[in-house]
Amino acid sequence: MTGAALRRSLKRKWNGWVALSVTGAVLALLPSLYILLGLFARTTENWQHIQEYMLLDYALQSLLLVLGTVSCTIVVGVSLAWLVAAYDFPLRRFFSFAFVLPLAIPPYIAAYTYGNMLSYTGSIQTFLRNEWGLAPDQRYFDIMSMKGAIFIFTLFLFPYVYLIAKTFMEKQSAAFIENALLLGKNSLHIFWRIVLPLSQAAIAGGASLVAFEVLNDFGVTKHFGIQSFTAAIFKTWFGMYDVDSAIRLAAWLMSLIIGIFVVERLVRRRKKFSSPTNRMTPLRRRKLKGLSKYAVLCFCVAVAALSFFIPVAQLAVWATWTYKEVLNDVFVQLLTNTLLISCISITLLMILAVTVANVIRYSRTSVFSLVMTRLISMGYSIPGAVLSIGVLAVVISLDKELAPLYAWLGFAEGKLVISMSLFMLIFAYIIRFLAVGYNAVEAGFEKTGNRYAEASRLLGMGMTRTFFKVDLPLIKGAVITGFILVFMEIVKELPLTLLLRPYNFETLATKAYQYASDEQIHQASIPSLLIIGVGIVSVYFYHWLGERQAK
Amino acid sequence: MSFFQLENVTFGYDTGSGPVVRDFSLRMEQGEIVGILGSSGCGKSTLLRLIAGLEAPAGGRILIAGKVLVDPRQFVEPEHRGVGMIFQDYALFPHLTVEQNILFGLHRLTKREREQRLGEMLSLVQMEGYGKRYPHELSGGQQQRVAFARALAPRPAILLMDEPFSNLDADLKKKIREDLKQLLRHAHITTILVTHDKEDAETICDRIIRLAR
Repeated sequence: MTGAALRRSLKRKWNGWVALSVTGAVLALLPSLYILLGLFARTTENWQHIQEYMLLDYALQSLLLVLGTVSCTIVVGVSLAWLVAAYDFPLRRFFSFAFVLPLAIPPYIAAYTYGNMLSYTGSIQTFLRNEWGLAPDQRYFDIMSMKGAIFIFTLFLFPYVYLIAKTFMEKQSAAFIENALLLGKNSLHIFWRIVLPLSQAAIAGGASLVAFEVLNDFGVTKHFGIQSFTAAIFKTWFGMYDVDSAIRLAAWLMSLIIGIFVVERLVRRRKKFSSPTNRMTPLRRRKLKGLSKYAVLCFCVAVAALSFFIPVAQLAVWATWTYKEVLNDVFVQLLTNTLLISCISITLLMILAVTVANVIRYSRTSVFSLVMTRLISMGYSIPGAVLSIGVLAVVISLDKELAPLYAWLGFAEGKLVISMSLFMLIFAYIIRFLAVGYNAVEAGFEKTGNRYAEASRLLGMGMTRTFFKVDLPLIKGAVITGFILVFMEIVKELPLTLLLRPYNFETLATKAYQYASDEQIHQASIPSLLIIGVGIVSVYFYHWLGERQAK
Repeated sequence: MSFFQLENVTFGYDTGSGPVVRDFSLRMEQGEIVGILGSSGCGKSTLLRLIAGLEAPAGGRILIAGKVLVDPRQFVEPEHRGVGMIFQDYALFPHLTVEQNILFGLHRLTKREREQRLGEMLSLVQMEGYGKRYPHELSGGQQQRVAFARALAPRPAILLMDEPFSNLDADLKKKIREDLKQLLRHAHITTILVTHDKEDAETICDRIIRLAR
């Protein structure tokens, strides 16, 4: 390209939309950049201690947790997906939805619910003692352990694997399976030799989501006292007050996550199987009979009960015990806070998401677009604890830069203005969940295509007017979907809120967590149920959208 | 000098598979109807997108009535080109009525002029009485007529049509082709029509250009 042509191209492409997108993407990159720079900073005295006594142990614990959870979720998720996709049995449609519901329950709520239920004074042991006079060995009930954490994570994260695998099996594999049947293979053989290898990429996608969620977790490991990597970061941060070392640990964790990302890509690279024809015949389900029917039914009932109905019922019972004490002015304040911060963050987030999506849609394959989408999605794969350190570091240094301004405005010396305000938390929410909102909007744009916008341009409307008159009405549904999905994420988000909120600012999630960690688990039930309620609405919405797309 | 000129226009997509359009030149007089004929993938739709300003050429220039639309230094945005286009699937805005669709490009006129132009266009395409309908409530042929009215309403200097008959049933096509021919003659508008169907081009166009792959 010649100089003149380059200038022409820049002039043509540079406008307010692009400027806002680039600014947003750069801001989203800043905290991660800050953390990765931590790898090159000079080490402090603490670091040697951390390296010697903590790092390896904590890394191994985290690894064990991730590997254990990932393998268990694959077993549960894939088998359920296969049963629901390929067989017909009583209540199949109900289970098809019920297996998505666990996503509505954040693992930390599940962790303290199960933790209390299974404790010596919890409902199960009390029942056994009082009704049946049994005094079983406490070891059977020890959920506050590595095994317990894997159990919790598996029950509440398997839907990621289940959903992706089921969609793939229903849509893609019909032709292959029918062929295999015609070649005289039995179901088990088909599952192992055809379905599993074909679904490999889909399963890897779901499993990597599970891995990210486990590494992102803060509540479960904290409540169960597991020495995970995140716990190590907190110990250095709040126990030793050594932010530099905490950043360094965070940087290591981030490198690990980038590693998982790369591995997932490698697994998927040449395994993107899809049928060569566009004609997709849905899989014909086989009716189960006799013993196998009841076995499958039992399995499904057990999973659905453990992963949704039992904990929700238990929380509901606790809620009836405590509602008088919990529902008061403070609770109203809690609700207002949660709604306020969510609405501000989501509005800003969706504006940015829509802007970026509107810029990128015109040149999806260009390098610029690829870089932008990567930057936008990055926040979602960084654990909340890591991101919060990054945001905090960025904001504090910003406050330092602004110190002369504060002095001029007459604030006391050394006052931190931005880092003490809600701004920090909003900024963090936007970075963390930008990908969620963006993906929803992007799907909307992809469905509408560019031709309406192009027609509008040719009828004399500029990009901005086109957006408001044509694009926005057409992608309205997608924007609302994004809004709801981000709302669910923000309402249940724990580590970011806990670490970056201003002093005494409580939301539903932080209050539930606070009750639970103060051994007032029964009181935690009402905020928890509200969080789960929001989750159910979002999950239902998601499911409904998926069904509609399938048609 | 001709009314409309393309000079040595070259274009390739970013993917690096070589240019789709190479050194293409064309001159047209005002009111002329030119058909561009070629098999799919020969770059004929790309040519229309270049003229409309939806893509930027790597080289060459495009002029209309002596005004430069694009050359290596300048690029006029599609909304300022005065080019009308009828898309292959018409791209009628699904959330707007027939009236609102036609009025869409008339935002620079006063209210009275707008109403007048709307009436003219509806009667030109014989769609009076359909103004309040939504696009999905119209047949394929009616949709095409609305698309035509919408593109023509702002009085573009040139009209581009991308495979205008590809979405119509075969038995309807013949009648609609005749109608379109009459409409174009009536409107006396410079037109480029892109098609893969020789018969389409021969019925409607004054001149036919064959694009080789």
